[in-house]
Amino acid sequence: MLNNKIKFNLLLLASFLTVSPVFAAKSAEAVKALKPALAPVTGLKAQDMPYDVGGAVLLTWDAEAAAPEGTLYRVFVSSLEAGGWLQTAAFASGEKMSKDMGLPFWAWKARGGMHALNVELNNIYGDFKDGPVFHFKITKVKGTVAAESETASSATVSNWFRLDRLNNLVLLIVIIVIFFWAVSHARRKGLFIRRIAGLDAIDEAIGRATEMGKPIFYVPGIGSMGSISTIASAFILGEVSKKVAQYDSQIKVPHYDPIVMTVCKEVVKQSYMEAGRPDSYREDINHFVSADQFSYAASVDGMISREKPAACFYMGYFMAESLLLAEVGATSGAIQIAGTDVEHQLPFFFTACDYTLIGEELYAAGAYLSKEPMLLSALKVQDFGKLVVMVSVFFGMILVALGAKFGWDGFVQGLLHLFRNY
Amino acid sequence: MKLIKKQIPLAIVFITGVLTLVSYYVPNKTSVNYIETMNKWENIVVAFAFLLGLVSLFFSHYHKLKKKADGWGYSIFVFVGFFAIVIPAYVSGGKQMTDAGLTPLGWSFKYIYNALSGTMFAVLAFYIVSTAYRSFRIKSMQAFVLFVAAFILILGKVPLGQMIWDAVLGWTGAGVNNVIDWIMQVPAVAGKRGIMIGISIGAIVTSLKIIFGIEKQYMGKD
Amino acid sequence: MFKEKLQKFFKIDRRWIFLLLAITLFVPIIKPLGLPNKTIAEATSRVYENIEKLPPGSFVLFSFDYDPSTRPELHPMAFALVRHAFSRNLRVGVVTYIAGSTGLIEELFAKVSKEYNKTDGKDYVILPYMPNILAVLTQMSSDLYGIYTKDRNGTPLQDMPVLKGVKNYKDMSLIVCVTGTAILDYWVAFVGDKYSVPVAGGVTAISQPGYGPYLQTNQLKGLIGGMKGAAEYESLIKQPGKGTSGIDALNLAHLLVLVLILTSNIILLIVKYF
Repeated sequence: MLNNKIKFNLLLLASFLTVSPVFAAKSAEAVKALKPALAPVTGLKAQDMPYDVGGAVLLTWDAEAAAPEGTLYRVFVSSLEAGGWLQTAAFASGEKMSKDMGLPFWAWKARGGMHALNVELNNIYGDFKDGPVFHFKITKVKGTVAAESETASSATVSNWFRLDRLNNLVLLIVIIVIFFWAVSHARRKGLFIRRIAGLDAIDEAIGRATEMGKPIFYVPGIGSMGSISTIASAFILGEVSKKVAQYDSQIKVPHYDPIVMTVCKEVVKQSYMEAGRPDSYREDINHFVSADQFSYAASVDGMISREKPAACFYMGYFMAESLLLAEVGATSGAIQIAGTDVEHQLPFFFTACDYTLIGEELYAAGAYLSKEPMLLSALKVQDFGKLVVMVSVFFGMILVALGAKFGWDGFVQGLLHLFRNY
Repeated sequence: MKLIKKQIPLAIVFITGVLTLVSYYVPNKTSVNYIETMNKWENIVVAFAFLLGLVSLFFSHYHKLKKKADGWGYSIFVFVGFFAIVIPAYVSGGKQMTDAGLTPLGWSFKYIYNALSGTMFAVLAFYIVSTAYRSFRIKSMQAFVLFVAAFILILGKVPLGQMIWDAVLGWTGAGVNNVIDWIMQVPAVAGKRGIMIGISIGAIVTSLKIIFGIEKQYMGKD
Repeated sequence: MFKEKLQKFFKIDRRWIFLLLAITLFVPIIKPLGLPNKTIAEATSRVYENIEKLPPGSFVLFSFDYDPSTRPELHPMAFALVRHAFSRNLRVGVVTYIAGSTGLIEELFAKVSKEYNKTDGKDYVILPYMPNILAVLTQMSSDLYGIYTKDRNGTPLQDMPVLKGVKNYKDMSLIVCVTGTAILDYWVAFVGDKYSVPVAGGVTAISQPGYGPYLQTNQLKGLIGGMKGAAEYESLIKQPGKGTSGIDALNLAHLLVLVLILTSNIILLIVKYF
């Protein structure tokens, strides 16, 4: 049975192989039959597509100044020395110009009067290792008339550098240099940091909890360890739990993400040790609740309304559960301090909490509370970043406006390239 | 001990951080493969972490039950809820729907999880309304501006409000939609952009602090 | 005396407000008033146009990341979007990064695929839930089969007709993410911007204002916001559904909020100045 199936398939394959050249010959004849009254494409060049992972070839050819309307280009590729042509693209004569490549001026010399096309061979030949040479030709078609170009060939290469992302790299290097300068500067000199009321209130909140003999809830939100606000939250938890240990108060940290829980366990344990109270540390300070947003909110709400904590901290990444948590906390009479970088949840925290840290303040909180010069120095880098943005926006606006008025198109384009993400 | 608890983790953070950063500028196949491997590892680690969470959840509630701590009755529901989903999931082989219709898992999803989850989100509407009543009070000039903007937005968001606007303020020639568009596109976006830029810069700097091992509180201190 | 009474009203037990809202919502649900949905937001019609202009057979990826909690707002949107895609004969792929949405996706396709006579594997494919969205999004930029090898029922993806010629984002004509979480932000930042693939979205009304900047810069090709957005989309595809029927309740609840805010401020004025 199986043998028969294999035989049948072989037969099918053999018949296909014998028939296909006939088809190919026929189509070639058909093309030839169309009288070449059109001038063929000139200047066709094939080269490896720069700055890519490989598997793509860049084709360039001269654009016709006055191509008759309705002229089409058909691009063919073949992996064989002769024959085996497959169509990879077809488009009108005015499209795929060199200036439309979407690459910045330092990585691509956009030339007028030239077409450029990125042919991704993976789409046709599947995954292949770089090395084989591919052949290309372009047929110009207008109505029933067609003209074929000469062939151009190229192999593909997996490149090592995204030159188009140079602007990004330069900015990164500048920030890193300033970062290290600020860090070394911080070691030598202290840095001024403005007061953040929300963070100053932490002491008050913990003091109140101690007096009332009620617990403190620290809610680290629903972010994973990959979210910066959760990392910042872990820093703040470290400082808060140290104070809690010193005052011998109680803290509870319900979790949404098991990895965040593991990290926070370590952080809290360390803080208790630093405060000299390792005996007060309990494993169930940090406990997992649910990895489902509203189950988490429901459960934490339940705990808050049952235990009536003296203080609630909401620090980290929050979505729709922000108000669910904060409102319940507010009605239970707790002092509430919130902090998140999710801007559209900030209004809810503002209405229901006593203090709210906005975005960057949350990031700065770890540094602010620990008062470590190394950490504080990073705030300086943040300020520098903001300065760069402000100056760029201000001058960029003026220059682009001037450019538009005086027609400095090239200059404006160049400027825009500098600030674009590639 | 310090080597295992501090230096090796910091080295791992530094090396993977730098490599991932570099891979953004290196399009080569090697860097693509590296990112692919990292992504797969990350997925595996996350999957195992769920187990960790489950163990923690069970232990903390088991202890509560054992000690008959305050509110221990609620802990029973943790187990009830867990098994109400897990057993049907196991019986239905993880499928919620077959050609025959809903499987037991599909049933628990639709009639237990759906209802509970929907209720929680619906509570939000009640909280928003009561918070609006309690806290939306004009006590300063800024609050007044906020009030006017909010009033127009709430009114214009629903067809009935649009009709009211047309009836009362139609003579001004400004449609409520145009006013809302302006509020949302100009002052709201301007403010949000400012916050977003600040947050992004903060995120870059925090990432650098972590990659270069300056911020290491998340590992606990020395 | 009068002032004291007013003050009392000021500090009214919030449960009275809850009751008032419950009644306001309950009435139109029991007895629909049939209030019209007059205008269509520009952002919503942009989503519609982006799907409308795709040639039949184009591949559209839907990322449905909402669980039953946000179902009333987002499920009608997802229905309308899939109906639109099917009516245009587009190929549809579905991914999700929220475990709770798998049941809703099943429910959606069980219904809509029958309406349009579409077959699983040929016209649409539902990929399984994946944790750790960022890793998956990055991976799909080079080769989606590197992370998804089977569909949610365990059928291998290679050679599935619906995925023919689809390997990574470059082969997708549009991505639409419907979510009540920040997952749409990830699609914009990690996919739309990086790989220049058009991304559109559908979100809850509560998070809708947050996407203004993305809409302005065209990083987001369109946005359907909340139940009103769903109703708008339903009227665009001329198939009224759950979104349209929710408009009555939405209308009255909004007006209630306005009345409450006004009342509290009038009381404040009287207490302060008279």
